[in-house]
Amino acid sequence: MKHIYLLLLGCCLVLNTFAQESLEALMEKEEVKTHEPVIATYKSTRIIQGHSPETLKKRELDFRVAHHFGDLGGEFGGPKTFFGMDNSADIRIAFEYGITDRLMVGIGRTKGSGNLTQLYEGLAKYRLLQQTTDDHIPLTVSLFGNAVVSGMTSSETESDASYFGRFSDRMSYTGQVIIARKFSRSLSLTLLPTLVHRNRVGYMDQNDIFALGAGGRLKFTKRLGLLVEYYYPFRSQESKDYFKAQGRELYNPLAVGLELETGGHVFHITFGNSTAILENQFIPETRSSWLQGQFRWGFNISRRFSL
Amino acid sequence: MKQMIVLLAGLLLAHAGFAQDVFMCRNTGLSFFSATPVEDIDATSDKGTSAINLKTGELYFKVAVNTFKFKKQLMEEHFNENYLESDKYPYAVFKGKLVSPPDLHKDGTYEVAVDGVLSMHGVDKNYREKATITVKDGKPTANAKFNVKLADHHIKIPTLVIKNIAEVVEVTVKATYTAAS
Repeated sequence: MKHIYLLLLGCCLVLNTFAQESLEALMEKEEVKTHEPVIATYKSTRIIQGHSPETLKKRELDFRVAHHFGDLGGEFGGPKTFFGMDNSADIRIAFEYGITDRLMVGIGRTKGSGNLTQLYEGLAKYRLLQQTTDDHIPLTVSLFGNAVVSGMTSSETESDASYFGRFSDRMSYTGQVIIARKFSRSLSLTLLPTLVHRNRVGYMDQNDIFALGAGGRLKFTKRLGLLVEYYYPFRSQESKDYFKAQGRELYNPLAVGLELETGGHVFHITFGNSTAILENQFIPETRSSWLQGQFRWGFNISRRFSL
Repeated sequence: MKQMIVLLAGLLLAHAGFAQDVFMCRNTGLSFFSATPVEDIDATSDKGTSAINLKTGELYFKVAVNTFKFKKQLMEEHFNENYLESDKYPYAVFKGKLVSPPDLHKDGTYEVAVDGVLSMHGVDKNYREKATITVKDGKPTANAKFNVKLADHHIKIPTLVIKNIAEVVEVTVKATYTAAS
């Protein structure tokens, strides 16, 4: 009998605790933990010139204008060109569109600044992995690829990089893996292993150039951030030496920028040594040096529309 | 002894009945709306959770801020990143109590007043709002519509977009409860 009594008492106590439990505690137990995605690793689909891991969302249209001015200092800069503003090194106008939340495509027209000009670009970027807040997935990984064709008139000289024997000589491609992590609200870092393939190059140049890029963002306030982007192209020593002897030394592209977001618009004000805007050119063909005042300011304007 | 058992059984039943006072809703619908001359902004979430205690009149709402869906994806990103800062303050929580609760065990529609605290964006603020509770077949449904002033919760709108976002947004909640198991 005593056992039954104790048992019943026990039951009462159990029920009692349940009833007295706060609604809050009750709901906490109900909660299903999900792996929440980390948002806004970067504000825009570009870090500076190169891509960020971000893609446009479904049915979003991004109208982009990028501009690189002339040399700020050095031989071609200074007051006579109003610190490069009178010259334009490269200009790009593009429409990019989100097909799904992970896949974006784009078409662009770039003036070009390198061996080839009058560039038409088709691009696609796919977000493979999205970092989650609980580190279930610690990194965001996106894949980017483009194909660029030059519309310029072929050179008469057969040894030129811009001599087009066949249509395919006008083509170049970039393939890139974008590996990013948002470390905190203010700090995002990115690694960008990149392969640039150009179907036609000049003497002693390389068709395939592998480069490792690195980029990052440090936010000062909610809407203002500092951007850095650097690419190290692994070009053969022979090729480097040849261009150096020719007086056309190659440099590694380094850019810094300020990012300003105003709700719908993202402005980048950038400074970099590369003249070209597209990966296909600024990675293998940057011929100007920060140390000689051959850096330029530029801007990226992005306006996103929801269609 | 028999009497004792009957007494205890009675106690048990009373407790079981008491437990039935708690009702929960795992898919509470929340939405907010702000109208401005430039554009209307509305967002909804059906991922809220809620619980009500019919006996004590206690009410509880919780929603993960990042579950709100907007028509424009960019707005959603700005909402989470800039305005609500959902990585820092992931939830909006309301803890409240019905003011002089009616007997909600009986079917019917009741206009009630709710007193409570809304914690959002790291700021707690007291609210007293009207709500409607409808009980049908012993199951309650709660509906409420109230205004939240963004400044009260330290949600800052930059001057550049101040015309696009209203200072006061209208919040609507709807929960259909089932008995807590």
